[in-house]
Amino acid sequence: MKKYIWVSLLILAGCKKDLDIPNPNALTTEQFWKTSTDAQQGVNSIYSTFHRTGLCRWIHFITIIRSDEGYSTSPNTEIINNWDVFNITDYNWGNTVAFWDDNYIGIDRCNQVLDNVPGIDMDATLRTQLIGEAHFMRGFFYYTLATLWGNVPILLHTSVIGQQPPTSSQDSVFAQAEQDFTEAAGDLPVSYDAGNVGRATKGAAYGMLGKCYMQTHQYAQAQQALAYLVTGGGAGQYSLVPNYRSNFIETSENNAESVFEVQNALNPNDTHDDDTQIGTSDNLNYGTSIPPFFAPRPIGFTDGQARRWPVAEFLSEATVAGGRDPRLAATYLYDSTDPRGPDYTMVYGRTFSSLGYSSDPTVVPNTHDVYFRKFLDDSVMTGEVFHSGNNWRYLRYADVLLLYAEALNAQGSTATAYPFVDAVRQRAGLAPLSTVKPGLSQADFLTQLKHERLVELCGEGHRWEDLARWGDLSSALSSRDPSFAHFKTGRDEFLPIPQFDLDLNPNLRQNPGY
Amino acid sequence: MKKLDEGATRMRVRSIINFILMTKLAVVLAFAFSIQSFAHGYGQANLHLHLDHAPLKKALKTIESQSAFRFVYKDDLLPADRTVSLDVRGATLEEVLGRILANTNLDYQKVSANLVVIEQRAQAIAIAQKVTGRVTNGKGEPLAGVSITEKGTNNGTVTKDDGTFSLTLTNAGATLEITSIGYVTQEVKAADRLDIQLKPTAADLNEVVVIGYQSVRKKDLTGATGVVDMTNANRITGASVGESIQGLVPGVTVRNGGAPGENAAIEIRGVGSFTNSNPLYVIDGMLSDANTTVNTEDIASVQILKDASAAAIYGSRAGNGVIIITTKKGKDGPAKLSFSGKYGVQSMPKRWDLMSAPQYLQTVKTQYANSGLNLTPGMAAQVANNTISTNWQDQFFRNGPEQDYNASISGGSAAGNYLMSGSYYKSQGDIIGNAFERSALRVNTEAKKGRLTVGENMMISATDAQAVGGGSNPIYDAVNLLPVIGVQGDQYKTIPSNPAGWGMGTTDFPTYAANYVALSQIDRQTATYDKVIGNAYADIRLFNWLSYRFNLGGEVSFDYHKEVRDTGIASYAAQPPLTSVYEDREQFTNFLMEHTLNVNKSFGKHNINGVVGFSRTQQRRDVTSASRTLIDQNTGLTTIGSAFGTPSAAGSTPLFWRAHGYLGRINYTYNELYLLTLTGRIDQDSRFGSNYRTGYFPSAAGAWRISHEKFFNVKWVNDLKIRASYGQLGFSDALGSWDYLGLINNSPRAIYGTSQSPQVGQYAATPGNPNLHWEERTQENAGFDATFLSGSLSVTFDIYRSTSNNVLVGITPPGYLGAVGTVSENSGSIRNSGFELGAVYQNNTRKLHWDLSANVTTIHNQVLSVGDQGKDAAGNPINYIQYNNFIRAQVGHPIGAWYVIQTDGLFQSQQEINSYVGKNGQMIQPFAKPGDVKYVDANGDGQINDNDRQMVGSPWPTLQAGAQFNASYRQFNLNIQLVGIFGYKIYDDVRRTADTYQLSNFRKGINPWSATNTGGTDPRLAVDVPTDPEVAINNMPETSRWLENGSYVRVRNVELGYNFSQSVFHGFFTTARLYVSGQNLLTFTKYKGMDPDVQGGGLGARGFDNGNWPSSRILSVGLQCGF
Repeated sequence: MKKYIWVSLLILAGCKKDLDIPNPNALTTEQFWKTSTDAQQGVNSIYSTFHRTGLCRWIHFITIIRSDEGYSTSPNTEIINNWDVFNITDYNWGNTVAFWDDNYIGIDRCNQVLDNVPGIDMDATLRTQLIGEAHFMRGFFYYTLATLWGNVPILLHTSVIGQQPPTSSQDSVFAQAEQDFTEAAGDLPVSYDAGNVGRATKGAAYGMLGKCYMQTHQYAQAQQALAYLVTGGGAGQYSLVPNYRSNFIETSENNAESVFEVQNALNPNDTHDDDTQIGTSDNLNYGTSIPPFFAPRPIGFTDGQARRWPVAEFLSEATVAGGRDPRLAATYLYDSTDPRGPDYTMVYGRTFSSLGYSSDPTVVPNTHDVYFRKFLDDSVMTGEVFHSGNNWRYLRYADVLLLYAEALNAQGSTATAYPFVDAVRQRAGLAPLSTVKPGLSQADFLTQLKHERLVELCGEGHRWEDLARWGDLSSALSSRDPSFAHFKTGRDEFLPIPQFDLDLNPNLRQNPGY
Repeated sequence: MKKLDEGATRMRVRSIINFILMTKLAVVLAFAFSIQSFAHGYGQANLHLHLDHAPLKKALKTIESQSAFRFVYKDDLLPADRTVSLDVRGATLEEVLGRILANTNLDYQKVSANLVVIEQRAQAIAIAQKVTGRVTNGKGEPLAGVSITEKGTNNGTVTKDDGTFSLTLTNAGATLEITSIGYVTQEVKAADRLDIQLKPTAADLNEVVVIGYQSVRKKDLTGATGVVDMTNANRITGASVGESIQGLVPGVTVRNGGAPGENAAIEIRGVGSFTNSNPLYVIDGMLSDANTTVNTEDIASVQILKDASAAAIYGSRAGNGVIIITTKKGKDGPAKLSFSGKYGVQSMPKRWDLMSAPQYLQTVKTQYANSGLNLTPGMAAQVANNTISTNWQDQFFRNGPEQDYNASISGGSAAGNYLMSGSYYKSQGDIIGNAFERSALRVNTEAKKGRLTVGENMMISATDAQAVGGGSNPIYDAVNLLPVIGVQGDQYKTIPSNPAGWGMGTTDFPTYAANYVALSQIDRQTATYDKVIGNAYADIRLFNWLSYRFNLGGEVSFDYHKEVRDTGIASYAAQPPLTSVYEDREQFTNFLMEHTLNVNKSFGKHNINGVVGFSRTQQRRDVTSASRTLIDQNTGLTTIGSAFGTPSAAGSTPLFWRAHGYLGRINYTYNELYLLTLTGRIDQDSRFGSNYRTGYFPSAAGAWRISHEKFFNVKWVNDLKIRASYGQLGFSDALGSWDYLGLINNSPRAIYGTSQSPQVGQYAATPGNPNLHWEERTQENAGFDATFLSGSLSVTFDIYRSTSNNVLVGITPPGYLGAVGTVSENSGSIRNSGFELGAVYQNNTRKLHWDLSANVTTIHNQVLSVGDQGKDAAGNPINYIQYNNFIRAQVGHPIGAWYVIQTDGLFQSQQEINSYVGKNGQMIQPFAKPGDVKYVDANGDGQINDNDRQMVGSPWPTLQAGAQFNASYRQFNLNIQLVGIFGYKIYDDVRRTADTYQLSNFRKGINPWSATNTGGTDPRLAVDVPTDPEVAINNMPETSRWLENGSYVRVRNVELGYNFSQSVFHGFFTTARLYVSGQNLLTFTKYKGMDPDVQGGGLGARGFDNGNWPSSRILSVGLQCGF
């Protein structure tokens, strides 16, 4: 009898372990996060978020089309309503929600790295870098949420079902992003070898930190952060490339001007954009699908296109050599991308005139239409597909220089700000501002900067945050972009929080006005 | 007692003594004692004896202990089951032995003053009449050890293993009394040759019932336990246990599948889960699934544990009830061979009454004329000269043979027992292209040595099923195909993808239904399941009151599916798929290990018995599948290797879990008056989230045998026991193996480096839910068991309420968690309540023996919560889960309730349409014409749309009932079983497709409204064209037009048998019974579809008749015999 009791006890003793059965089909959170490779792959998954539709496609609608740079003639009227004319039809509209979800999917990926990688026994330098990258990316997602939704919940650890975090104010969200970028700046390397180029760097972190401070009008801190790239430790790393257009074509990615660049590549076998579909990774689209959405008809679907008014901004000033600002042709495809006119303007290997557009401006498409060119692949292709490998130059050194100037000006150091604007102008062949418009007042300098930023950065996705920072978002913009006629101040600065999330979390608050 | 002739016996006695002296040391000692006794010269006995149900041997020992007498006898001579009760003072040996040996076939002989030899009585009595005969049970099986006594005398005998007996009567024509424990005592008039059939007592309260890790007497049950009468269950021809118990047990709902080899759906006391309602099966102590692989003929008993008290010993897996199946074992005695064979023919019990080709064409003509349309030239041509008339039901349905053969050999002795049985079952099915076949072998053995018992139960079965692929349902297609289309013909070969010329819809006569005759040839599926299941155990009796048992169970099954898709199409406008072959192979293993200690001890009037133990379960399934396109048409080879197109493969381990259970139960009985059962189980399961690794499942039950109280003095009540129980169960089999885990997804790809090559990314895509755990059931039960009228009537009544909490619900997590897909949460709640009543009445007092059992069940199913599903567009909380837009599980309603737009007859005139207006005067159905369906504008907004849906009726019966009647007269016996289901609504989706009048044949019974037939009950006959939108509105699926009363009463089985006398076969058979039976012979119902016994669309849509395959009508003839 005793013997049997002992046998039983022995069997019971082994119990606890017995009940932990690994899933042979996939690793679990507990099994993962053990090795250096796990850490690296965890960080890879964060970057992969850029290939989800929200971040490779819809962000460009939300930041470009929604701003006064662009508009939509999409047959999908939901795009027009929700992302162009400020007529929000549905707080749960799938595409906006997809973008919201993607930011939080990215944040959860960062949180998993930040929760787990510090405990991994691995090369300390690499670990520090990986943690830095996760902080950088989390900062990036919170920066995006703060600029577009403003007041959102902040999650800093691996998500647990049932969590009901409260809404945080826009300031707090920016503060979180600042904290992340600060930590990233401390951890990230100045640069990478050829095998790793394109990952977040110290300069990228300082650049993003500067952007955060700019959006929150903390100009001294912004100046300090951006100084790393301009005058500080990272100064030697960055320069403006001679050819402006090389910032937008696939053959000159990750150049000297690139501070942070979203890396895309073409997968000829792709069938989907969803990087959470288990077991189908070989068919993942890790490029961007924005070109067919922005390319002129009939090459693309043209769900988003450009307003024509900025063309005049480009034309308002000639180069020193008496020519047209070269940035115009790099920014737009329209009837005069070639200064000689539609017969010479080449659109994907065909002349603009041969497209057969109507001259009636009320007809879609018509000869007055203007198309964003910076994401397109017309330099290498005669059509567009869903998988463009062209990188998105998210933060260029030119942008940093202009922000740096803006920060100086905002602090009253207008004179000191001139050289940084001049550098950008001179690359475009324009005369230095110090020559053509010396001694501008602080306010006038800002006005000038608004022009400089438009012509330098148009169609790259920064216009919305610029307008927000300058306090220019209002129905007054309808004079140049009629879509703003229904812009409601106090509401449309932010997107609506998805109703799905509000319904499941009593601690969340909808944005004002919705 | 007659004295024996001394001279003759002396010789015999001496030889017996010699034999005994040579073989038995014990007897030598006894003899030595007796010599010693001589020496002391003890005189005549003066015996004081008090014996209470003492075995004979003990009685003799007691005499030896009090006197000098020593007895000599062969041990096996004393009938083991004979007990003696005596209370004598100062009796002589003669007096005592006379009483002890009365009513036996033993006599005694004093061979010396103190030595007494007990021996078999010599046959020297006067022969008045010699009777031979045989005693069998209701199934025709011989009964051994039955006592046959000549009434009024001590003359008697017992039956042998083959049930036969022979008795010499002292009085010719005397009455014989036939008694056996567990059977109703019978008296018969003596005849030279007697065939006696004993009936089990209706309320055999001493019957032993298996309740999980323990057996108790039926009278000691405190929980709600249903015991299946296997006599009735075995009458049903079916592939699974479920089919055979329909209507037999209150509280158990069985809905048949119909297709050959398809499992019946079994629910115990309703549905308490959104995920899984299957009960747990325990087969000979092995936790498994009693699907179609188990041969029902091998089953000795089925017990159904319905309430928490009964089922709690199975803890977290018992929430949907437990079905305990015990298979047959060999009985003591020489080898017994038996054989049974059954051959039957299956057919559709009912067919749709559809139009013939001429009727169809005439109706189409009218339909087009009504709509003001001209027939297409092709239609007109066929109307003018139709040569085709196809009855598609004749093409698809058939009379399919069904065969069932069983053979077994069994036997046993004190050292053990054995049973081997082999069986073969084949059902061809009543629809072409379908068949099911099962071969099974069972070996159950048990060896006993001293305190140790070792045994095993093992089954090997191989099943093979054939089916037709292509996603077609022949029940719909037989209705939807048009009678003017031929089965096959050259005229159809004009479509390139139809080289065989199969008939299907055409441009002139469109229908999208599949030609099942064609599909059965071009898309063939086979499925084979090979399975070994069994357990081995060792039982050690440590003390008389304590025993330890070690039980090891194992199950291995290999499943194999194959689908071969040949060239060609079978329905109109179908895309011709590539030829292909697909195979998948699955391996399933299920292991169980258990240690249990059983206690049983009495202290005076107190009895305590119970069990404690540990149980460990592991289940795993591995799947590998592969397919390849382009099978080689020339060679006809259909392996993957012989195909030459694109290959693909997949594989995974979808199931792998373990559980540990610590179990215990105590039954306390005081004087058979008060009974208390405490049961508990602690379960730990690898499927539980980390915050809930351990679940506790306690229950308690009490019973009061009020009939044994002194104050209870109701003569006609023999036994009355009142019971009540309360407890908590879990249900863990709704959980997947790793649902609680955050799994790592390896799909992400990062791009960096100058080469811009993709780098693998991994992370947890779905957050784990460490709170995920078993579903809870809180169950309350109260009832009574009673027997009346000397045990001929027994009644069981229960009232129950089971509340499911923490029911698994799929919830889409909020986006801010970064999760993907839905995750399961324990957040739903469902309640089932109702009552059950079962009664059995037996009448065995006359030559016509009969019994009648009946039971009724009510189930009130109600959804209490579906968790937090967010809000709908109008901002109202979503308090429902939808199967489709007219079937919901909504809070306050039963699962699968109908949520439809109500109809209100037909519009009789344009004026009625015009006056049917909303609040603002707008017409509610502006497109309607006279003869169209009038719908109820429930929300009063002046229009008909989904906002007018209302909860209308339930797919849950208000009453379920079953009745069984058995009768026997001389050698004839009869079994009738009825099933009745009342008060529920079925959605007749097959009728819906026909009554839309589009793309389908018409039912003959339609009565369309027209100006000349204003009494018409069906909508006007019209073509659905854009200019007449109301036709489509008439046919909206989300309306009450398609709901029908599903109530039915079915003659589930009628069986008439004849038991042959042994003499007919000159003793070759010990038993032989021939019978004919008819299953599902008649159904009384108003339901228009083929069969109201529908499984529907699973848990969410139980009353949705989406072409459910009806239960076959089976006419069969069978033979059962023993050797």
